[in-house]
Amino acid sequence: MLTAALLGGALLARAEDLLPPATPGAGMVPIPVGDYAPLLRTKDEPARVPVAAFWLDARPVTNAEFLEFVRAHPRWRRSAVSPLFADAGYLADWAGDLELGPKAPAGSPVVRVSWFAARAFARAQGKRLPTTAEWERAAAAGISGPEGAAEPGFNATILAWLARPTPERFPAAGAGRPNHFGVRDLHGLVWEWVDDFNTAMVTGESRGDTGLERTLFCGAGAAGIRDTSDYPAFMRAGFRSSVRANYTVPNLGFRCALSP
Amino acid sequence: MTTPPAICCALLLAAGVPGAFAATRPSPAPPVAPTPPCCPAEKGSGGSAPCCPAEAAPAAKTAAPCCADAGAGAPLSARSLYQLEAQWTDDAGRAVSLASLRGRPVVLAMIFASCEYACPVLIDDLKRLRTALPEPSRDQARVVLVSFDPARDTPEALAAFRVRLGLGATWTLLRGAESPVQELAMLLGVKFKQDARGQFAHSNLFTVLNAEGEVVHQHAGLLGDISPAAKVVASLLP
Repeated sequence: MLTAALLGGALLARAEDLLPPATPGAGMVPIPVGDYAPLLRTKDEPARVPVAAFWLDARPVTNAEFLEFVRAHPRWRRSAVSPLFADAGYLADWAGDLELGPKAPAGSPVVRVSWFAARAFARAQGKRLPTTAEWERAAAAGISGPEGAAEPGFNATILAWLARPTPERFPAAGAGRPNHFGVRDLHGLVWEWVDDFNTAMVTGESRGDTGLERTLFCGAGAAGIRDTSDYPAFMRAGFRSSVRANYTVPNLGFRCALSP
Repeated sequence: MTTPPAICCALLLAAGVPGAFAATRPSPAPPVAPTPPCCPAEKGSGGSAPCCPAEAAPAAKTAAPCCADAGAGAPLSARSLYQLEAQWTDDAGRAVSLASLRGRPVVLAMIFASCEYACPVLIDDLKRLRTALPEPSRDQARVVLVSFDPARDTPEALAAFRVRLGLGATWTLLRGAESPVQELAMLLGVKFKQDARGQFAHSNLFTVLNAEGEVVHQHAGLLGDISPAAKVVASLLP
């Protein structure tokens, strides 16, 4: 995966691609081999998709870390970025190109970053963005075990967060309780980019521009849904299908991943 | 195409929920309004000739450096897809950069050659679009098909696809590495996902680029009315 990113890195390929891979362990935690239950699947597809072992940042990327990145890569500064790669809201909470200001505390998660910018940041660290399967695999874990759904109050806690408005300023990244794998803030702080968010095709289908497999959505609406009570998963799928790669959103940040 | 009403409704409802979700954009960005061609080439001078001769050049209002010799290394406009620096390979095995398409209008679609249904239909739509363009300049518009299946769509596979679908010299078939394919898809708003059988679910979408590689029109869906798109392409022709 990483190799593919390095070899194929085109658009955002710069000197940063030549850096050696980051040492896993620097703020990353290992997620052991496991599986992930997709929200939507065809009837031919297995209910659980295997996910190889990978490393995941223990917390979302902070403003301070992103500032360091834009210092080193001027094309990703707010005033310089191409509108193709980040819309007008890019880093809008910052006081300036290289100044965080009161709305963007150094230790808080960086938000209003596009997929392109998040990906470029990850590359510069020798990392990549997690895939949907990897992110969901890590985020399905509870506090005490790998199956959060088995823990009382797991979904209710996430729903309570989803019901809260986006705060004026985000609290520090990494302050949340670590989950079973030692990952923090997958729920409860910000939404996060995944590398393959554009595989969530629901909005496209409703506009009729997506040639979904004829078997993917058959007959009864929710028949292909894994667990209709997993409302947060619906919301994440809806979110992913509604954004584009240059969008920046006031509560959408990211964290990085790495293959062993 | 089947439609999944219940699923869509659930997700659209989700989009309306206040709180953390409230900042989500309601829908993907609308297609960019067509813009007039910025630099009509001189009649008979060929598509690659420098455009906008000095005496005709209006005080360029747009930021686009439109009036430079195509391919002469003039800076690309901020919205040009040709900022993508990846190397692609065509079905003859030649290395191609997107920037080499600069200077003429391009109709761009993403496909995969082993597609059972939608891609051949999409290509039929593109053939209809070509037919709708005025004759002699029709061939000045390139049609570019980019595969999102680099694993199977080797140059040979694309060459066979060209023959099978009877695509002429104005059609360019490209494959690229996974990462630039994904980035191009992201820029175009093309969604794709490979299923367990190796088939792709994907957007049926084509995009019209002006001579600078800026998106000026997008057409979604199959078997639709291609005349708005044809009108845009025609306006970009020399």
